[in-house]
Amino acid sequence: MSSDPWIWVGALLTLMIFSFLYKDNPFYKFGEHLFVGVANGYYIVFYWHNSLRPNLFEPLGAGEFIYLVPLLLGLMYFTRFIPKVSWLVRIPIGFMIGWGAGLSIPALFQAEVLRQLEGTVVAPSSFTNPMSGIWSLIILVGVICTLIYFFFSKEHKGILGHTSRIGIIFIMIGFGASFGYTVMARVSLLIGRIQFLLGPWLGLID
Amino acid sequence: MKWYDRITRIDRRIIYLLLTSLVILPFFIKVTIPQNIMPQTKRLFDFIEAIPPNDKAVMISFDYTPQTQPECHPMAKSLLRQCFSRGIPVIGLSFDPQAPGLAVDALTSIVNEFDSLATSKEDSLVYGVDYVYLGWKSGRIAAQLDMGEDIGGVFPRDYFGALIDSFPLMNKVKNYKNVAIVVILASADYPLDWIRYPQTRYGVNVAAGLTAVMAPKYYPFVQTGQVSGLMSGMKGAAEYEKLVLDHGYARALGNAETGMNSQSMIHILIMIFIILGNVGYFFSRRQKGADK
Repeated sequence: MSSDPWIWVGALLTLMIFSFLYKDNPFYKFGEHLFVGVANGYYIVFYWHNSLRPNLFEPLGAGEFIYLVPLLLGLMYFTRFIPKVSWLVRIPIGFMIGWGAGLSIPALFQAEVLRQLEGTVVAPSSFTNPMSGIWSLIILVGVICTLIYFFFSKEHKGILGHTSRIGIIFIMIGFGASFGYTVMARVSLLIGRIQFLLGPWLGLID
Repeated sequence: MKWYDRITRIDRRIIYLLLTSLVILPFFIKVTIPQNIMPQTKRLFDFIEAIPPNDKAVMISFDYTPQTQPECHPMAKSLLRQCFSRGIPVIGLSFDPQAPGLAVDALTSIVNEFDSLATSKEDSLVYGVDYVYLGWKSGRIAAQLDMGEDIGGVFPRDYFGALIDSFPLMNKVKNYKNVAIVVILASADYPLDWIRYPQTRYGVNVAAGLTAVMAPKYYPFVQTGQVSGLMSGMKGAAEYEKLVLDHGYARALGNAETGMNSQSMIHILIMIFIILGNVGYFFSRRQKGADK
């Protein structure tokens, strides 16, 4: 068993959180509130030391007054709390939206629309290997049928109804894969905590 | 209460107890459930194998958090073992505020492991020559784009406060032209930014090690070649551990491989419960129909 007090703190807090699985109780509440408080404290200190101080206050202290512009833009967010001047918040929001849209739209279109579209195209090169050819066709059929499922301008009847039903099958397979991976991710968190309790705390495993 | 009603109303605490027991069991009873290596994991491994030693660097973006440590930490360790064993320089950095502590832990433990086996000073890993950790930076999109021009402009100092110009490695690696691949180990959507911005503008190769819950979203990027390799959750980490062990870069399997035994047993249990729940639902619905 560990003699490190911090391991004990970690282990006891883990058990406090797990106690919720039985039912809600004061130990769980304590663990939860402590986590929220510690996480907030961590972020405040982290951003002060790694972002605000080196990127804003130190340059300002060194006489680089151009940094007053981001300072003022940042402070304008707080005008939301003063109704008389709350309209000022539109300035930093407008700046952020303009910057974000200008940067994101071309990049997003290139990376997530054009390249993905390219990946769906079945070319003669897709059939260099029979299996890859079959998979390319399945991807093409899956993409078209799924898109048809989300086409709501016409009633899903006849050929549109049949293809949209095939689309549902592809969507369900996607949901199933996501669910399987989600289970795996959540169980991994449990495994990590159990490894911590059995290893560093109890010393039962390496 | 009928049998089919009973199986749909199992006390959740019994399920939790069974689940916990099956997680613990493989740690004490040797159970080996074979793991297949998925092509996307092998692709990442092969990509790094193809990088010539002491040439271009591998950039690892440590962007995972303590709660996702069981999935991403073993990936980081295996990746570092492979790079260091092959003499590939490593540049670490982070954009998640919770990640720097974990990045330093992964680097320190692997460097100590290698140094403990070193027979001469030349065999040891030297900070600033073989690896560097640049630390955390705010405004990640701007930082990722600016690194395409000058990494030193974005990170003038490393995580420990030293000027990066003082490191021989950083004099060799100026921008993405000197980076073979960026591997993002993440528990949030950080790889998407790398695909959208630096890859689109500079053509840098991108790979990812992700928590399982995020993995399905990235498979289309593997198919188009935008992602050069992918480790998916604990399974991906276990696969990489195995590849690294099989190539003689590690002495033993790590935590992910042990965890996967628990993982496989839990999956069997969950499948049993899903089948039981469906059988119970089917029969109770049929009974209700008959009663009407």
